[in-house]
Amino acid sequence: MIEVRDACFSFDGEKNVLDRVSLCLRAGECVVLRGSNGSGKSTLARLLNGSLVPTSGAVLVDGQGEGLAQLVGYVRQDPRNQIVSAIVSDEVAFGPRNLGLPREEVLKRVGEALEACGISALRDRMTSELSGGEQQLVALAGVLAMRPRYLVLDEATAMLDRQTRGRVARIAEAAAASGVGVLEISHRPVLVADRVLTMGSGRFSEADEPPAQSAPPVRPRATSMTSTLRGEHLTVAYGEKPVLRDLSLNLRGLTLLTGASGAGKTTLARVLAGVLAPDAGEVTLDGRPVRAGDVGLAFQRPEDQLFCDTVLDDIAYGPFAQGLPEKEALASAREAARSLGLAEELLDRSPFELSGGQMRRVALAGVIAAMPGAYVFDEPTAGLDERGIRDLLELVARLVGEGASVVVITHDPEEWEPLSPAVVCLEDGELREGSVHA
Amino acid sequence: MRRVLTPGAYAPGATVVHRLDPRAKLVCLLASSVAAFAAPAPWGLAVVALGLLATLVASRTSPATVLRGLRPAALILALSVVSNAVVLVGQPGVSVEGLARSAAVVCRIALVVGFALAFSSTTPPPAMADGLAALMAPLRRVGVPVGAIAMSASIALRFIPLTVEEVDRIRCAQRARGARLDEGGMLRRVRSWGQVLVPLFVGLFRRADELASAMCDRCYTGEQTVLLGPLARRDWAALVACAAWAVAAVAL
Repeated sequence: MIEVRDACFSFDGEKNVLDRVSLCLRAGECVVLRGSNGSGKSTLARLLNGSLVPTSGAVLVDGQGEGLAQLVGYVRQDPRNQIVSAIVSDEVAFGPRNLGLPREEVLKRVGEALEACGISALRDRMTSELSGGEQQLVALAGVLAMRPRYLVLDEATAMLDRQTRGRVARIAEAAAASGVGVLEISHRPVLVADRVLTMGSGRFSEADEPPAQSAPPVRPRATSMTSTLRGEHLTVAYGEKPVLRDLSLNLRGLTLLTGASGAGKTTLARVLAGVLAPDAGEVTLDGRPVRAGDVGLAFQRPEDQLFCDTVLDDIAYGPFAQGLPEKEALASAREAARSLGLAEELLDRSPFELSGGQMRRVALAGVIAAMPGAYVFDEPTAGLDERGIRDLLELVARLVGEGASVVVITHDPEEWEPLSPAVVCLEDGELREGSVHA
Repeated sequence: MRRVLTPGAYAPGATVVHRLDPRAKLVCLLASSVAAFAAPAPWGLAVVALGLLATLVASRTSPATVLRGLRPAALILALSVVSNAVVLVGQPGVSVEGLARSAAVVCRIALVVGFALAFSSTTPPPAMADGLAALMAPLRRVGVPVGAIAMSASIALRFIPLTVEEVDRIRCAQRARGARLDEGGMLRRVRSWGQVLVPLFVGLFRRADELASAMCDRCYTGEQTVLLGPLARRDWAALVACAAWAVAAVAL
């Protein structure tokens, strides 16, 4: 049993991120932990595996207070931050080797873990060549190979497509059935939970998240003023591998772009935003060829998009690049931050110190601050809480209402139903026949 | 993201050279480097060159890769040939003897680079680290932290592609927000690289921190179980063949 007793934790010694939290997770139990962005869920998770130590209170795993990393496996949101080796089999062997197990036992466990995650075929592949979903399965196998008694999934499915989410859920449920206690931290849990806990600003709250009281966002209408983003005969290949095949599309108002992992969605996003030059074809915005910066692009991983020392500098980068004077640039940055609900006190912090959801808001603010004529958002709701998603829908409705065209790449089209968007499905670098307007 | 092909980066494959044990390959690399420097010109060197040719064929490494690998040093090598050939003191002119001597040195360097690339493009970084640790194992007795050194080597190798990726990411992020990095005169382009460097270092330190905490989560302490089994028969065969060839090249 994992027991957390009255644990407090603070990064700066002043403000408690966790405030006298108590929790208990039994062997074989599936518990889901929900809570708004920045409420301290990940911090709690890191207390459980001993990578953070509570400032007061105690964390005991099966009665032990030391060596928790061996007992509690921890899977993060982004496999890129978790994978330590260049080769899949070596990656999975890393944990068992550190435990000092004999060679035969290590090899046996690697085989078992790869089998349990259904990725035996990837054994000799390079980790950097795999898709995000495959990488996450490798990360999970690497944790399972250590045979932890408890498993913490920290937003581990947020960036996966539906099929891979289902696979992770089945693997975790199989582990739970064999006696492993599983804690899933997620806004969209995939596990069938025995219990659901909710966190709000550093402690467990009794009630579920505040219900969505506000009216659904108004459905935006494209007008004659709405910009048109057009791609014609777009072709992109990476080496020998074709990614986009002679793809033409005409985007006006709000459009959802869906498709399985590896269908070419992110590549299309980069091409539409003028960041990646296609091998053939052209992208135009209202008839003019698109240059980088004309179309706002929000990356799939917010941390890929951020590079300045402070949140405010990062948001103001776009306006500065347009040549706005300092005062105006900072003013539009502050305005963008406000519209994303970022508190004033966050603006002087480093963007990399923020929680995943807050980082997402900073990244989005940086895109809208420059007020481009069209937007491409790549998986913008991954890692956002319910309120964050509602705010984002309102923001997108406003942008479309103001005449911008918006393309949203998503694995969860139903989240966007209130805005009744057009839906386009990408399959193997081509638009699937019968892509209809929802 | 479009992949940057660096010469010598591991290219997965199933050739004989790929399947050799990393320890055997490391020893062969050492032997062939010694042979490349010790073999007398021109016949000894020719034998070494034949060995390189055989290695490149067996590992399906293209000779163009070797040339690309030499490119960074091309200017210095060319300068050294010229400076050895041109005589300024006494009777100015071109010395044929100097030219031959420096050409031989350049050949030796090219051969070593060729062997090194054939090794690195057929051996995944973790296997290199494991091989290194195994060969250094005797030093453990005199208190050398062999496991830590091997892991450092492995991480250093891992950070090469990571650095390329991080540069790509930052430039992409800046361009997406309207920075014009590839336009304007020389001065502006150089300045735009400055804009990339600071976030690059911050970013790499962050990645290093994340890697460290991911390793701690998986109970890394510095010592790991050795995964390499006993050498197979083909490894011994390769070692014997390599030794015979190296001795022949030096003795010629």
